[in-house]
Amino acid sequence: MNHLALPTVSYAALAPILFLLLGGVALMVLSALSRRPLAAGTVTGYSVLIGFGALISALAEYGHVNGAGPSSTVASAIAVDGFSAAIAVTVSVVVILASLLSHGYLRRMQIDAPAYHVLALTSASGAIIMAAANDLVVLFLGLEILSIALYVLAALNRRSAKSEEAALKYFILGGFSSAIFLFGIAFTYGATGSTNLQVITRTLGEGVAAKPGLLLAGLGLLLVGFFFKVAAVPFHLWTPDVYEGAPTPVTGFMAAAAKVGGFAALLRVLLTAMPQLSTNWTPVVYSVAVATLIGGAVLMVVQRDAKRMLAYSSINHAGFLLVGIVAATSAGISADLFYLFTYSVTALATFGIVTMLAGPRDDDAGIDRLSGLARRHPAIGAAMAILLLAQAGVPFTTGFIAKFSVIEAVVGHGSIPLAIIAMASAAVAVFAYLRLVATLYRTEDIATVDLGYDDSLTDGPAAFAIGLSVVVTIFFGIFPAALLDFGRTAVAHLLP
Amino acid sequence: MNAYLPVFILMIVGILFAGLSFVASGLLAPRKKPTAAKLAPYECGIVPEREPPQRFPVRFYLVAMIFIVFDIEIVFMYPFAVVFRQLALFGFLEVAAFSVVLFAALLYLVSNGALSWGPAVILTRGMPSRTSESTITRISATKSTDGQAA
Amino acid sequence: MTSLLATVAIPDLLVFLLGALLCLVGAVSILTVKNPVHAALSLVMTLFGIAVLFIELQADFLAAVQIIVYAGAIVVLFLFVIMFLGVDREEDLAVEPIVGQRPLAAVLITALMASIVALGLVGHFEVGPATQTGMLHGGAGNVADLGRSVFTTYLFAFEATAGLLIIAVVGAVVLARRNNPDDHVAESQVEELA
Repeated sequence: MNHLALPTVSYAALAPILFLLLGGVALMVLSALSRRPLAAGTVTGYSVLIGFGALISALAEYGHVNGAGPSSTVASAIAVDGFSAAIAVTVSVVVILASLLSHGYLRRMQIDAPAYHVLALTSASGAIIMAAANDLVVLFLGLEILSIALYVLAALNRRSAKSEEAALKYFILGGFSSAIFLFGIAFTYGATGSTNLQVITRTLGEGVAAKPGLLLAGLGLLLVGFFFKVAAVPFHLWTPDVYEGAPTPVTGFMAAAAKVGGFAALLRVLLTAMPQLSTNWTPVVYSVAVATLIGGAVLMVVQRDAKRMLAYSSINHAGFLLVGIVAATSAGISADLFYLFTYSVTALATFGIVTMLAGPRDDDAGIDRLSGLARRHPAIGAAMAILLLAQAGVPFTTGFIAKFSVIEAVVGHGSIPLAIIAMASAAVAVFAYLRLVATLYRTEDIATVDLGYDDSLTDGPAAFAIGLSVVVTIFFGIFPAALLDFGRTAVAHLLP
Repeated sequence: MNAYLPVFILMIVGILFAGLSFVASGLLAPRKKPTAAKLAPYECGIVPEREPPQRFPVRFYLVAMIFIVFDIEIVFMYPFAVVFRQLALFGFLEVAAFSVVLFAALLYLVSNGALSWGPAVILTRGMPSRTSESTITRISATKSTDGQAA
Repeated sequence: MTSLLATVAIPDLLVFLLGALLCLVGAVSILTVKNPVHAALSLVMTLFGIAVLFIELQADFLAAVQIIVYAGAIVVLFLFVIMFLGVDREEDLAVEPIVGQRPLAAVLITALMASIVALGLVGHFEVGPATQTGMLHGGAGNVADLGRSVFTTYLFAFEATAGLLIIAVVGAVVLARRNNPDDHVAESQVEELA
């Protein structure tokens, strides 16, 4: 019996993933074994605790990597580096906020709370797996864990036909894009002989093959899969419909988790596995970034529905994140890390407020319903205004620092035209955000329709999460140094 | 590749058998075309009053789902069993972790009534037993059935 | 391409052609048959053809898995869905939701096929069929090799599959759960009758 080199497993490095995944499994078992349905409060508390566990283990991993440097574990399938730790921190924060924000909603809509939390926890673990994947097969599994759970979450509101429609659209288009992504993996494997990112980059380092057709086809298909996941123009068509139809807290979770997972994996694949092909992928990412920046901003202006408007706003944000990838420097990556964290917090909280406004049946998020909100409910109105201004990139909010550092990175890289386009699109987007803020503070035409959120005002967990997000948004907007350093250190310890 | 020769021969025999069956039934079957009454579903000589249900209950789907989940588990078990000695305790623990997670899935399915047939009472677990809306619908439904009975 | 053909033995080529033919005939008939059940059975043909191609690639275990899992279980799942939605439902396939989508689809598919063939001609393959790269371990059974790589190189992917299956189960239960008010009434009536 010959000896077999068994892989070593660093459980400490896998802890954030294990927390979320096994947390989800344990919750599933608990809900199966308990005689009476688990109370919504218990489940939310459990989910938040799991999120905290993941957060602490991610921070511990970050600290460990700072001392010991990047490495990989489980037969080099998972990267143990600052980058994956920073994304794990972001995803854990998303889990905590999303659990708090969904609490009142699940109770109000009588949605099976354990099922929601099991799916949300496993889905979040998929986002971390994507970010930490050092192998295309693992990356694909992370992508599927993230996406399939999101398809189901989008369908959770069984009372709304729109929710089912959104889930179906997301599922069919998402399945299609996953298939394209899988083809990309297969072609890349065929051209390089491995799915391991480091082996791929080593193979490419020995000189790109004389006949790179297969390799480039693989790269192109991978990019299409990623662009779909992160909702970049022209692969964005599903976004407004799905964001509008899905239950609003799920939309928030989707906007944050899917973007974080997608961009993390895109950054890792392009910048660590295929930097030798940057002459090939930079023009593609460049033009998609331009289309996404302009398309997102322009289409945002014409929306009549808050959820659709925020969907296009998330597309616009995706454009900024792509600008960071075009920069392709460590400054670009750390700017993207900062952007992903701050965007997730802001977007989640914004959708949290929209949840309160979307009515008792969660089916109407028309902008006119927000009319004069700040006059009737000053606290909610002010929070919404701050979050919108942060998304617009107004100074003294995280949105400004995020946009600024991305543009700074791309200017440092020498792409001045892209920086100008990004700023122009930000200006167009500011118009849409400010118009919404003005609607909030209107004195006449105060919406008299039953907003249905008086009940939600007592929704303590959601109010707490929104308040926390606003504090984070302003605090790191004024004192961004700590968070920026966190990102820079993370990128300094990126597994090459 | 030679190992597949019997499979290939069996395939040809199968195709021949199926084809010849059609030919034989064409030759041997009575020439008369069946009447509409003959084609109707058999209900003890009584003319069927309503169409037979065309749809399957969704619970069949859940059973198929369980089947696939454990099918995939077996697919992983088989290569494991072949190299089980080489992998020693490590491999056993990894497979055990995999199986325990899938067993948790089975537990969830059973507790949600995926395997219970008969009136779907457990399937509504986690839902409130009564809301004002359901009571209203329920009363009207009861009335209408009373009307039918009377 | 000519050099590729020259190195392939005739039996290998015949098996490949048989597999490819099965795949294509099945795939085309999925699109052309009217009855959805027949379409599902055509899918079995395609999947069987893929199993033949796996055999040609010396991946015997995968060929068996392909038949057991895909041609068996997955198609059964498809059939359940077809039955669930009603077999006799008819869709008018003559309607084009987007004007000119059929000619456009034909053009795009031709372009796609052409690019795949072009890739086969100009691409540089690091890995390939056993006829090109030689057999693994002299072709003496590859289940053990598969087992070794599942539990070493792809260990994490293997465990992550469990997570994926969990989502499949929870998702199926959540989506199949009947919770619309009408069903609820029917069920409580059953309860009372019992």
